[in-house]
Amino acid sequence: MYSKRISDLLEKKKIGVGDRIRLVSADNVFEGLLMPRPYSGDPDIVVIKLDTGYNTGLAAQSIELISKAAPKKEGPDVEEKSKGGDIAILGCGGTIASKIEYKTGAVYPSITPKELRSAFPALGQWPIHSRQIFSLFSEDMNAHHWKLLADEIEREIKDGSTGAVVMHGTDTMTYTSAVISYMFQNLPIPVVLVGSQRSSDRPSSENEMNLLNSVFAATQDVGEVMVCMHATTSDDVCHLHRGTRVRKMHTSARDAFRSIGIRPLFAADYRTKRFDALTEHRKRSKPGELIIRKHVNDNVALIYAHPNLKPSLISKLDDYDGVVLIGSGLGHAAMNAFHDKTVHGIHKPVTELIESGIPVVMSSQCIEGRICMRVYTNGRLLRDAGVIGDGADWTPEAAYAKLCWALGQTKKMDEVRNLMMTDIAGEITPRSVPNEDQV
Amino acid sequence: MVKIGIEIHQRLDSSKLFCKCDSRISEEGKPDITVHRRLHPVFSELGEVDAASQAEFSKDRDFEYQVFKEHNCLVEMDEEPPGPMNEDALNIALEVASQLNATPVDEVHIMRKTVIDGSNTSGFQRTSIIAFGGHIDSSKGRIDVPMIAIEEESAGIVSGGEKKAVYRLDRLGIPLIEITTNPDIKDGAHLQEVAEKIGMILRATGKVARGLGTIRQDVNISTEGGARVEIKGAQDLKLLPTLVESEVKRQTELIKIMAELIRRKYVSMEAAPIDASGVFKDTKSQLIMNGLKAGSSVLAQKLPCHKGLLGTEIQPGRRYGTELSDYAKSSGVKGIIHSDEQMDKYQISESEVGELVKALGMKEDDAFIMVVAPKAQAEKAISFAIHRANISSVPEETRRANPDGTSSYMRPLPGKARLYPETDVPPIPITKELLSKIEKSESLDQKSARLGKLLNKEMGARMLKSRNLHLFEVLVESGADPMLVATTLEETVVSLRREGVEFVDLEKSLTELFMEYQKGSFVKAAIPDILKGMAKGARIEAVLKVMRLQRISGDALGKLIADEGYDMKKVMQKLRLQADPQEVADIIKKKKHELEYEKADKGKDFI
Repeated sequence: MYSKRISDLLEKKKIGVGDRIRLVSADNVFEGLLMPRPYSGDPDIVVIKLDTGYNTGLAAQSIELISKAAPKKEGPDVEEKSKGGDIAILGCGGTIASKIEYKTGAVYPSITPKELRSAFPALGQWPIHSRQIFSLFSEDMNAHHWKLLADEIEREIKDGSTGAVVMHGTDTMTYTSAVISYMFQNLPIPVVLVGSQRSSDRPSSENEMNLLNSVFAATQDVGEVMVCMHATTSDDVCHLHRGTRVRKMHTSARDAFRSIGIRPLFAADYRTKRFDALTEHRKRSKPGELIIRKHVNDNVALIYAHPNLKPSLISKLDDYDGVVLIGSGLGHAAMNAFHDKTVHGIHKPVTELIESGIPVVMSSQCIEGRICMRVYTNGRLLRDAGVIGDGADWTPEAAYAKLCWALGQTKKMDEVRNLMMTDIAGEITPRSVPNEDQV
Repeated sequence: MVKIGIEIHQRLDSSKLFCKCDSRISEEGKPDITVHRRLHPVFSELGEVDAASQAEFSKDRDFEYQVFKEHNCLVEMDEEPPGPMNEDALNIALEVASQLNATPVDEVHIMRKTVIDGSNTSGFQRTSIIAFGGHIDSSKGRIDVPMIAIEEESAGIVSGGEKKAVYRLDRLGIPLIEITTNPDIKDGAHLQEVAEKIGMILRATGKVARGLGTIRQDVNISTEGGARVEIKGAQDLKLLPTLVESEVKRQTELIKIMAELIRRKYVSMEAAPIDASGVFKDTKSQLIMNGLKAGSSVLAQKLPCHKGLLGTEIQPGRRYGTELSDYAKSSGVKGIIHSDEQMDKYQISESEVGELVKALGMKEDDAFIMVVAPKAQAEKAISFAIHRANISSVPEETRRANPDGTSSYMRPLPGKARLYPETDVPPIPITKELLSKIEKSESLDQKSARLGKLLNKEMGARMLKSRNLHLFEVLVESGADPMLVATTLEETVVSLRREGVEFVDLEKSLTELFMEYQKGSFVKAAIPDILKGMAKGARIEAVLKVMRLQRISGDALGKLIADEGYDMKKVMQKLRLQADPQEVADIIKKKKHELEYEKADKGKDFI
């Protein structure tokens, strides 16, 4: 936003963003298009796009309008439905498929089917239809959006789509992939979430390869929710991860998504038609086998157990319906096993939460490995207090999504405990197998 | 009227522009990691892709990037967002801008310039205007410098192939200053002068990178009735006049060819090649035989009205056919064969040509072009060549400077659509406070005056132009005699290099040499021999000892002079490399003086 001084000046001269202007700065005359002000910087400095294509910021002595910008043509929103036997591409936002407006440099989500096909001509090799459900940064999403997405996936299955691809921001993609995994059990079609780490406004974005591999994966005989992202930093192979066992493990790199505790389900390359199974997976279910349980409870907290955590914080969680702790090590938090006066244990507030009917679930900061609250006293104290999760090897995100989902099914503590400890979609594995990549 | 402008890209002596990697690279060594990537054009809101991007994209290539851990991090690998712009580099660029009399912008906006030839892992180069409205003075008037930018260096190409290009990332991200002049330059000699002057201004700051490849010139030339072309990568400034001359000739000849094509009533045509592989089934042509064996096809296309024109020379050693061939090469083929060439060069027989002419249904004025390549690729090659043939004016192009001063087609001139904001780096305000902190080094004029005083007018001017200027300053700073340093750098070292002497580390050798000289360990005349001895990295003490070049002086010298009977000529013949002539002269003078005194004394006795 420009400062009041500049805004008033522009208004007086009837100049808007995109208009061609003549600007004088340090006695030099510049002609170009008025650009919007970026979020940061000095709001008194005018940003102009010169005829060379460069934007630059200048303190203006004067600004004159040369010509108004042509009015923008807004295309109608096109929504496509399944014709049966094709693959649905559903847009939830993120930058996987967007376009640049060169004039202003703004990036817009582009999911109109025509634009999607023109951006990725190789999509033409599969029968597809597409529509946008919403367009959000994934960190802005919540249970409301999980529900919207679930409704659309259900609609696609009913309409006869043979696969669904969900374009999604990467930050919270693994929460979504986990919750969808619990909502749709015994899937008759693959549901593949896909994103990109490099925004689509760069020629180097890996969005094209990820998207094409996700559509390719959606044509396969798999009945699971999966996440399709780069396997390595190179544009060669994508990995398909199980929706409940995948985690974003790097802030920016292409190979940020890793399977935790198991190998990825598949290695895929649509160009060579390679689709190699790396571990066991579920095939498409037969008619009538699908179970849909879409209810979720969004009133669940996820708390990191860190040094200096105040017991009062835990006490304040009593207006939540459930709490997931991300404990240290085997699933620990300060329980003050030695009754040391210098320790601020959370034994009391945790016990009180559980006694008041709020389930507390344990996961681990270690990410890899299993919760074992039987080994050390603090763990035993947590377990004895009724903390759920001993023996589970879920990721914090899978545990969180599961508690949201479980509390959508029931509020009875015993039933929640049972649901939590029953493996629904691979979030709890029966045995810990050695990591082949580390041997 | 020819209009010439120049764009100079100079690496700055600072760490990389958007990360903290070291910029002082050797461009040697083996990579630690290899990464494979692909690039695709980014669509604008209209679904349009920039012409230059599309031209590269049509090559459909894989890119292999060599990563060097010492000089690369995730930023160059396009795996991490860029950091803030390197302040030191920005300050150097602003200082250069002030030397060029330019006004800094009030806020630097970082832009992305689409480049999808693979030379940037991101698919774009980050570039920003930092100043405008500058100028320099030249012998033929003022040259305006409307724009000064700071940008990141691209990756270095290792090999480029049809399907794959290999780049090394060590140099990616090094800060460059880009100085663009208006097309105010009058001719080739003037161009050389302007380029030299800007180069001197840059080096005078002492804050730009030195060595091969650290400065590059791109020349913009347009002729009346012709078009604007950008010729990239002119390394040798002495070649600039030839470059201009060749380009003017090329455009003049092209205009003549276009006129002739109009006279012959050539109209644009569609590419519709025939498969002529059958014509060559028993060919003696090695080129075609090998191609056919490898599964390639021979595609041929009639070019109506082009007879004789394809063979017209438009630049020394380059014909109009070469222009078409350059376009065809974008498909990855090695080149095309055309009917104005000597067919026996390819061992193609007259009867084969006859058959081809018949198959193509060629008339009197017609020509043909032919490509040997895998079918799909050959089709692309023919269509690119026809695309060029259909351009009825001199096309606007980006061309590559060849070492002989001619140039070859690279890609169409990029359009404006290539630039859009780099949203990962916020704009940088250029405040008065920031400008006041920039350390001003000597201007070119100040430096010129100081060198004139330190040396003499002629040597000062020579040193100012010299690539060794920085080394000169360093050595003089350490206490060496300016004139001796200047002559050693500009004459001794130059002639030694001409003899084939290669210096492993010239700066180190010279620093040692002058330190030792100040101690009086050897004489000036021995310098060439000592340097030769030190070239491979030997220490000076060892060289002096082994080559017996230690200076002889004092009593020892006196004795040797006495042995030669105080004959200056004889002494210097024998001790040229070890004795200082002044000292020898002094000793002899002193002796003569003594003798005369003695004589006078003896005379007294007689009295």
